[in-house]
Amino acid sequence: MAEQHTASDCKQRASQGAGGSVSGNGRPNTAAGCGGGGGGLSGGLTQPAGWQSLLSFTILFLAWLAGFSSRLFAVIRFESIIHEFDPWFNYRSTHHLSTNGFYEFLNWFDERAWYPLGRIVGGTVYPGLMVTAGLIHYLLNLLNVTVHIRDVCVFLAPIFSGLTAISTFLLTRELWNQGAGLLAACFIAIVPGYISRSVAGSFDNEGIAIFALQFTYYLWVKSVKTGSVFWTIGCCLSYFYMVSAWGGYVFIINLIPLHVFVLLLMQRYSRRLYIAYSTFYIVGLVLSMQIPFVGFQPIRTSEHMAAAGVFALLQAYAFLQYLKDRLTKQEFQTLFFLGVSLAAGVVFLTVIYLTYTGETPNLPDSVCFRYAKIHIPIIASVSEHQPTTWVSFFFDLHILVCTFPAGLWFCIKNINDERVFVALYAISAVYFAGVMVRLMLTLTPVVCMLSAIAFSSVFEHYLGDDMKRENPPAEDSKEGLGPNIKSIVTMLMLMLLMMFAVHCTWVTSNAYSSPSVVLASYNHDGSRNILDDFREAYYWLRQNTDEHARVMSWWDYGYQIAGMANRTTLVDNNTWNNSHIALVGKAMSSNESAAYEIMKSLDVDYVLIIFGGVIGYSGDDINKFLWMVRIAEGEHPKDIRESDYFTPQGEFRVDKAGSPTLLNCLMYKMSYYRFGEMQVTLDFRTPPGFDRTRNAEIGNKDIRLKHLEEAFTSEHWLVRIYRVKKQENRQALDHKDLLSVLI
Amino acid sequence: MAVCCRLLMLLTLLTLLCVQPGAAQKKKENMLVEKVEQMMDWSSRRSVIRMNGDKFRRFVKAPPRNYSVIVMFTALQPQRQCSVCRQANEEYQVLANSWRYSSAFSNKLFFTVVDYDEGADVFQQLNMNSAPTFMHFPAKGKPKRADTFDLQRIGFASEQLAKWIADRTDVQIRVFRPPNYSGTIALALLVSLVGGLLYLRRNNLEFIYNKTGWAMAALCVVFAMTSGQMWNHIRGPPYAHKNPQNGQVSYIHGSSQAQFVAESHIILLLNAAITMGMVLLNEAATSKGDVGKRRIICLVGLGLVVFFFSFLLSIFRSKYHGYPYSFLIK
Repeated sequence: MAEQHTASDCKQRASQGAGGSVSGNGRPNTAAGCGGGGGGLSGGLTQPAGWQSLLSFTILFLAWLAGFSSRLFAVIRFESIIHEFDPWFNYRSTHHLSTNGFYEFLNWFDERAWYPLGRIVGGTVYPGLMVTAGLIHYLLNLLNVTVHIRDVCVFLAPIFSGLTAISTFLLTRELWNQGAGLLAACFIAIVPGYISRSVAGSFDNEGIAIFALQFTYYLWVKSVKTGSVFWTIGCCLSYFYMVSAWGGYVFIINLIPLHVFVLLLMQRYSRRLYIAYSTFYIVGLVLSMQIPFVGFQPIRTSEHMAAAGVFALLQAYAFLQYLKDRLTKQEFQTLFFLGVSLAAGVVFLTVIYLTYTGETPNLPDSVCFRYAKIHIPIIASVSEHQPTTWVSFFFDLHILVCTFPAGLWFCIKNINDERVFVALYAISAVYFAGVMVRLMLTLTPVVCMLSAIAFSSVFEHYLGDDMKRENPPAEDSKEGLGPNIKSIVTMLMLMLLMMFAVHCTWVTSNAYSSPSVVLASYNHDGSRNILDDFREAYYWLRQNTDEHARVMSWWDYGYQIAGMANRTTLVDNNTWNNSHIALVGKAMSSNESAAYEIMKSLDVDYVLIIFGGVIGYSGDDINKFLWMVRIAEGEHPKDIRESDYFTPQGEFRVDKAGSPTLLNCLMYKMSYYRFGEMQVTLDFRTPPGFDRTRNAEIGNKDIRLKHLEEAFTSEHWLVRIYRVKKQENRQALDHKDLLSVLI
Repeated sequence: MAVCCRLLMLLTLLTLLCVQPGAAQKKKENMLVEKVEQMMDWSSRRSVIRMNGDKFRRFVKAPPRNYSVIVMFTALQPQRQCSVCRQANEEYQVLANSWRYSSAFSNKLFFTVVDYDEGADVFQQLNMNSAPTFMHFPAKGKPKRADTFDLQRIGFASEQLAKWIADRTDVQIRVFRPPNYSGTIALALLVSLVGGLLYLRRNNLEFIYNKTGWAMAALCVVFAMTSGQMWNHIRGPPYAHKNPQNGQVSYIHGSSQAQFVAESHIILLLNAAITMGMVLLNEAATSKGDVGKRRIICLVGLGLVVFFFSFLLSIFRSKYHGYPYSFLIK
């Protein structure tokens, strides 16, 4: 009966939020430990297995529910809305897919982005996400459940988090036992490292890719264990889904060969391994090449070469094994020697040939990355591409980060084929997470699994009751630790897990649940102000401008303009063309007449900027401005020089002491136009034109625009839109000026 | 006679006077030739010429010159703890060597270095308070603003330096990086060492199958990464921060965006202690032995986990402002 209480207890707490399921999930082991005593109920529940599966189902379901509901903070606080930047593009293409059909989507040439170049969308995206959302939408509509495609997109990631939890359960069960699996499922359902990429509204590749990753690994472990082609084909299909969903599939195609290689080194070669890897490599390769964006990369680029090399090695190894059985020892040795020297010669010649022709294979991206970062400003300007401090590890994983090494320890001490895999997974993932903060995402699942193993083995020993053991003879040699110590350990461990649950909820609520399209500010009394300037401005664009109007903005806002305002943009978050971005950066950082020339050549009708000086929003364009200058300087070093935008002391200031180039550039003028006459705060001690983001009174209050006119400024001045005056219009008014511009 | 004598004297004086400028000119030329020869001599021995205060004034500052000089002001002494200086120095050496061994090598351009500990007076004279600094002293005239290399912005990659030099002196240097064999050699040495050891102990290869060793190695990698050693490697933070006013040393960085080396070591130890606690807890329950001993192991393990975790949490809390939770320790 105790188990029943646990289950209902668990349900109660889970319904309160993310918390409860973890504190209750040490208990499946109780079921394993004293399941024999759980009789008395009718039907299947008299069997221990019946109890176990009922509990497992309940816990997995609750984990799903807890994971789903803790991802809903943003929806409850704001509304069902797509977040941030990239999801807007995904949403727009999903919308295109669901309205025009699959083939139309694959052939989609988007003329509304990267004006005048356009973008071939079908061939430059991982379509898995869009196809998944589109399919769900299609099925629901087929069943006459009418939902908008937006709602499918918003709730896709939370739903997939449940699937991730289940596949993590399956994988951990293969590695350790059922109890650890359930714990791992509960961990992954609420751990912030994964929630950060999968809250409701964050409609991004990672949301479904982590599920595909874990499921592929589960099927791989299963196929190594069984050596059956059935599981391997399943693994390939799952791998195919992963390739279609996220560029991170490269991690799989390197980790699995590494696993095979290490198993060979450890002399754990078996028929099962041979069947699994040979099938996986060939079928997986063929399937992965079906994705248009991947194409022939798997047989061309260096990231995929390890897989091919291990495939060849495995064949050679298997062949040698075969020969070993057929030949005498003497013959085999001669043959082996011959073969090895031949192989060495071939490798040597290939290396010489490659060096001679200058086609040395590239280093993997992660290695080159550090060097690229120094030289290409656009990579350095993205904050995700940074190494990770210990604070981020702790923030995203809390207690798991300090306990998962113990799980790793247990795995290595009790090694077998699949635990080799999880050890390699842990070491490689922790390395990549250390190099780049966004790869924390690939580390999170393995941390959950190993930490679950550590906690589960502790609970297994401390939660069970010694007295009730059925067969004491096996135990009599060692006396129990005593109920007191056991309960203290259990209590404290449960307390730590409870703190983990509380931490997860707090982090999710405070750090990862802001849509960044709608902002919220809190008053002193705790009431909330919603700043909806972005959508206001985008809606204005949608309603008041020509359908084919071209809007220039910094690349961060490209996807949002395309998605929300449905207008043509010049650059967007798919930063594939650095020189085009540099041109926009140059226009923003030149003076008005030089910028007008650029804008004229790019047919710009409107310019959109983000300005946070009124409300103190720090992510605005003036704060990003130096990146624009840097990127522009990279392509146009003659016209733009970063040092011109600093004061002689090397400071970046917007007040009177600021450099004159800055005070007269287009971005500055557009940001602060009419701002000089505005009393920003109610406090009259501050002068008019006081920038609250940079805490300075602006240096150029008398801004006159010649070629632009203000078209729209949102309520809190967060978004400002300017119309570029047409030439015909100006010819009549201002003849001289035009001449001077033309000459 | 007397008149004659006087005339002669006057003449000689006159001639002397007349000759004087010519001689000075000659002397100057001689000096210049001498200086250039000296500089060439030095640079043929070492591609970067080390200078102290006197040499700097004589060869770089003093006027008769027909050559440009690039000077790196730096502090390479180990006690200065300037890691940037060392990196900059490597790049500078690469550049200087590229120039020294290029076909265009001439006496138009010299690379020199002034170390703070050898020429502190030079630093004072030039009003310089940061190292490393690259300056160009043109053949004619005084250095202008653009003759100081903008290190903060462009970085000190030798390609960037070469671009700057080309801009200032019209001397094009094609940077040739010597392929770095040191890594390969070290790897080869390591492999041969390991191979040799294995060969020597070929009759007793048990230790390869020692799981504890492998587990230890794996945990080392994990601890190094989760405590942010990679961040340290890439960003190069100071070991700890010493407050110049009261001399207090803080080992924990106040912001969640950064960390000190000492701090990451502390975190590494804390993580390791918690992991050890978990392992001990498990050990206590599974090992066969005296119950009293096992109880002690169990309690020690529990103490390690709980105490060090609350300690870790409190450090996290002090760094992440506004974090509400703590456990045992505030």
